[in-house]
Amino acid sequence: MEPILKVKNLTKEFPGVKALDNVQFDLFPGEVHILVGENGAGKSTLSKCILGAYQPESGEIYLEDKKVDFKTPKEALANGIAAVYQELTMIPYLNAAQNIFFNREPVYKGTNIINQKLMQTQAKELLRNLNCENIDTTKPVKYLGVAEQQMIEIAKAISIDPKIIIFDEPTATLSDREVESFFEQIHLLKKRNIGIIYVSHRMKEFHHIGDRITVLRDGKYIKTLREGELSDEELVNLMVGRDIAQVYVRTPNDHSGEALRVENISDRAGKVEDCSLVVNKGEIVGLAGLVGAGRTEMARLIFGIDKLKGGKIYLHGKEVSGKGPSFLVNEGLGFLPEDRKQLGLAVRAPISWNIAAVSLKKIFPHFFVSQSKNDEIADEYVKSLKIATPSVKKMARALSGGNQQKVVIAKWLSANTDVIIFDEPTRGIDVGAKMEIYALMDRLASEGKAILMISSEMQEIIGMSDRMYIMNNGSIAGHIEREEFAAEKIGQMMLLGS
Amino acid sequence: MKKIKQKILESKYVYVVLSLLFMMIISSLLSPSFLTLSNLITILRQASILLMLSLGLTAVVITGNIDLSVGSCAALTGCICAKMLVADVPVIAAMLISISIGLIIGVVNGFLVGVIKLPSFVATYGMNMVASGLAMIVMNGGVIYGLPAKFTTIGIGYVGSVPIPIIISGVMCLIVYILLQKTTFGRNVYMIGFNIQAAGYSAINCLGTLLAAYAFCGVTGALGGTMMTARLNAADAGMSETYGLQIVAAVVMGGTSLLGGEGGVVGTVIGAIILTIIVNIMNIVGVNSNWQNFAVGIVIILMVWIDIYTRSRRAKKLI
Repeated sequence: MEPILKVKNLTKEFPGVKALDNVQFDLFPGEVHILVGENGAGKSTLSKCILGAYQPESGEIYLEDKKVDFKTPKEALANGIAAVYQELTMIPYLNAAQNIFFNREPVYKGTNIINQKLMQTQAKELLRNLNCENIDTTKPVKYLGVAEQQMIEIAKAISIDPKIIIFDEPTATLSDREVESFFEQIHLLKKRNIGIIYVSHRMKEFHHIGDRITVLRDGKYIKTLREGELSDEELVNLMVGRDIAQVYVRTPNDHSGEALRVENISDRAGKVEDCSLVVNKGEIVGLAGLVGAGRTEMARLIFGIDKLKGGKIYLHGKEVSGKGPSFLVNEGLGFLPEDRKQLGLAVRAPISWNIAAVSLKKIFPHFFVSQSKNDEIADEYVKSLKIATPSVKKMARALSGGNQQKVVIAKWLSANTDVIIFDEPTRGIDVGAKMEIYALMDRLASEGKAILMISSEMQEIIGMSDRMYIMNNGSIAGHIEREEFAAEKIGQMMLLGS
Repeated sequence: MKKIKQKILESKYVYVVLSLLFMMIISSLLSPSFLTLSNLITILRQASILLMLSLGLTAVVITGNIDLSVGSCAALTGCICAKMLVADVPVIAAMLISISIGLIIGVVNGFLVGVIKLPSFVATYGMNMVASGLAMIVMNGGVIYGLPAKFTTIGIGYVGSVPIPIIISGVMCLIVYILLQKTTFGRNVYMIGFNIQAAGYSAINCLGTLLAAYAFCGVTGALGGTMMTARLNAADAGMSETYGLQIVAAVVMGGTSLLGGEGGVVGTVIGAIILTIIVNIMNIVGVNSNWQNFAVGIVIILMVWIDIYTRSRRAKKLI
């Protein structure tokens, strides 16, 4: 059998990073080919190149032995390549049928009037073929569950009769039961001889649906293997490329004295209910959970961005419940938000301004600002945190993700904060920079700072935390000490609660 | 030497200054009476009111917002000031009350934008109608003239051979320049404009800064209004109509981006002067007044075009 898709020597560069470096890939009809690798390994970049969302610098893509060069996803779609993304891309106020046939609705002959009835019938048939006849195709999709919406996305992808479907982390938002029925659909698609590219880092899933696995690391092609050829550990080593013990280095230190205490807090939106936790000086405490479990909401609540509905918060033994960020910062609390570019930094502002954003009034208490003194202080942090930039006058936008994150860290350090919440501190940055961030967090902890780390990466949170809280559906489902860390147990609590 | 050259070329104002020089060269070619000391002083004196009105707006635009109510704020405060003066209220008191009214208008604008979170374009357009409506109500179609000489001095007087409005505007420019470039308040104005969400996550007092910027804009609006009244030695509800959106144009032409975070007072000064020069030279040469708006509009579009073009080139250098 001939492969339906071949990718040869693909290279894609972004400013400062080679996202893909001479990567190869192929896909047979009726096959599920899994792409694995850490964040930043190039999985999504590769799938976006195939899809025409990115244009590679060099390399070739062949679809059924014909060289293709898609400029847009629309072009790829017209040639039979569909994609289902992790984030749902539907319009919430339209119903399933309207979403599936969006922008290509069936019309009455000779008119531009949409044939709603035909559209409904076709949508129902598509969903019935996916064993989802229970989905209401007349309700706005925002009233449907996430899994149902995911199914509608798949129906939409299938409705164009594709040869290839790309799934990018499709199960991230699904519960176990939903994942199971989703896998059934994958098997149905395989039977219809559709080639499937499946981007994921959930190893457990591979055994259920995978045929072959291609490992990427730091943008490079590492290996393609049959499913089951390697054990999970061997596969992880291939992905990480080094011993995990070297990535997550923790220096033993003592945890003396309580820094942050949160007692039974709840928010008004109902995303956080009755949560309590403690972080001691010198500790890195993990906050694990699925996306949507309420971790970021809890961080926002502690940092005073959202209003408390109930509960108490103490910083260094002093009650600070209900106070806003500027008060809390003065008491020593800092927060690195998950969305670095939108919330963490003013990317159009100079690096020096970003570093002084929080501490401005501390550095210049007499109302007047000296730019040269500001630059000097920023230069110190550039040196001590090894931020790679020729000048602190450059815009923050010019930095790579890892260096941007260091600027955000510098921002809080310059304000002398000693309790810092890190929300997904290494999201979207490459492995080398990740290790630097980890080393930095370890250094801060050794210096006696208290760190609460939110992370969705199991290895990271296991590797870095002294203790861990696990959130499920807005509540703290469990608390585990480092000696008892086990991915299985943590995963179970994340999914099912205590 | 090379370094200085480099620095000049990278300065954000280089193209604005070049445009100004270009305008002056063209104008002096068109008429020998353009480049005379007395005409240049006339231009500065005419520009000084427009400039005063644009100063506070510069701060508001840097925060990423806009204030469309400056013109009618000036008219309203000018009219009230005149009303009080003819009712024998002391000059200082009348001026202070007018400026307070400007301040209140600014704070209300800031409240609507910062607390109620209305889009600033709509909120301040509404305030523009409210203020000009109030001015009409106050004046009831009338015109006030014959104001005390002590008051009109600020519009028509001289210190030596320098007209007082130029001095007042010059001093205010300096104050605003220092406020925006050299203080923590100014820095936060820029940070809010760059990214208000990130500013909030950095514990910057976004609401306070925004309120202060709008309040300041109301104050400069009122100052401009009283200066206008003193200069005209008269007040009526429609007296600021000629300024209208020219106030916004002066700010934007000077390179202060409506996106926020960029620009400053220097640009606004040049923007206001360029706008004044166009009208001045057209009057000297005797261009039909029907064509004047047309020409002003073309120049505004060209200036903003140049600014946006050069901005993207500058941005590339900083990356």
